[in-house]
Amino acid sequence: MTPARHPAARGAGLPRLRDRPAGERDAALRARLIARDERALAELIELATPWLLGVAQGILHDADEAEEVVSDALLTAWNRIELLAEEDAMLMPWLLRITRNRAIDNLRRRASWRRRATRALTFGALPGPSVPPVEPNEAGHPGWHVHESVHGALRTLPEEQRTAVELAYFNGLTHSEVAERLGIPIGTVKTRLRLAFDKLRGTLAPLKGWVL
Amino acid sequence: MTAHDWFIEHRTAYVTRTLEPEEERSFADHLRGCEECRREVAAVEHELAWLPMGAAPAAIRPGLARQIYEGALEPRRARVLRRAAPWAMAASILFAAAVWTASHRRVEALAATLDVRDRRLAALTDTLSVMRQASRVLQASITMDGHQGGMMIFADERTHRWNVVVHGLPPAPKGEMYQFWFVSEDGMVRGVQMDLRNPHPAFFTVGMPSTGGKVMGAALTMETVSATGATPPGRMLAHLML
Repeated sequence: MTPARHPAARGAGLPRLRDRPAGERDAALRARLIARDERALAELIELATPWLLGVAQGILHDADEAEEVVSDALLTAWNRIELLAEEDAMLMPWLLRITRNRAIDNLRRRASWRRRATRALTFGALPGPSVPPVEPNEAGHPGWHVHESVHGALRTLPEEQRTAVELAYFNGLTHSEVAERLGIPIGTVKTRLRLAFDKLRGTLAPLKGWVL
Repeated sequence: MTAHDWFIEHRTAYVTRTLEPEEERSFADHLRGCEECRREVAAVEHELAWLPMGAAPAAIRPGLARQIYEGALEPRRARVLRRAAPWAMAASILFAAAVWTASHRRVEALAATLDVRDRRLAALTDTLSVMRQASRVLQASITMDGHQGGMMIFADERTHRWNVVVHGLPPAPKGEMYQFWFVSEDGMVRGVQMDLRNPHPAFFTVGMPSTGGKVMGAALTMETVSATGATPPGRMLAHLML
């Protein structure tokens, strides 16, 4: 069996996703994915990949490795798509969790990570915290409203807690690595993260998110 | 604080994967047997489900979406084969190298065996040529300590050399040697000494002695190693006259 060509590649006249109302589009896409509609898969890839890549690149700082992680996450989702219907699960958080976990697994397998982190401490080679300010020109991106809500929640945190969350959650560092990076006791890191995540749980729990 | 309290306190750290790797493994072990912690972890996961969306979206390079799409729709078997292809190729190369090495060793062993046989064949050919060219052949049987052997002389009058074979005799006793003698007009002349410790027949070629005058025959005796002189003091084993 020859794999189907990506609709965009073969020039199929898909209606532009952003032209449809978001709620209607996302609900229909979810139903079509569960029915294993291959064109729905193409749409999911178009919608989800930028977000998944953002998560993986923030942790791995390696574009090729991040692409591999995202490809595997989407493949896993497509092969187990029936679980969405059975468990009434949320697809996008599931994809995000798979992607983030795999990226962290990859990160921790790197034997040289500690050396690289140490170098970064000395020379500033690693990028800084990976949650950039909201870019107005991205506001039309599907899912952007969720990003804005999460960003809003992060902005309510005191700066030292937000920095700890950015390093630990969005860069994938452990307590001890954050402590080393910031030059503070590990107990302080744990306290800042506990306070921050407790607050975020309260803030983000009511977030309806995405139909996906 | 009990052990269980520690797990409850660190459930958010577990969900967000900020624990150290050893702590994370310990937590995962605990989860398998603790329903309450599983519920707590599921609740935290649900509450923080959208937190990863705090990371900004990344630009997709051209072709990546199509690559992911085609990869997802590729039949599983083809995908497995494609991923296994480099390993299969590496395994094939290793197998071929192993076969080549084994074959090479086998060829080397066969070549060594062939070389030994060539040498043996050449020696037999030489021996046969010696026998074929001999103008006279003298032979004496020797019985010694229950062994039945003998001495043969192939006299080549063209080259004035004797090819001598001594066979079937036991090794010389400690401190003694077999002594080959020429019987000449003027008396006995010492020739080759041998111990016959090698189980194969002794084969040697000798020229005529420069002293003693005309050679008329040969003899084989058993002598002490230190024996000297032109008169055999030891035991006479064979005596041949031309």
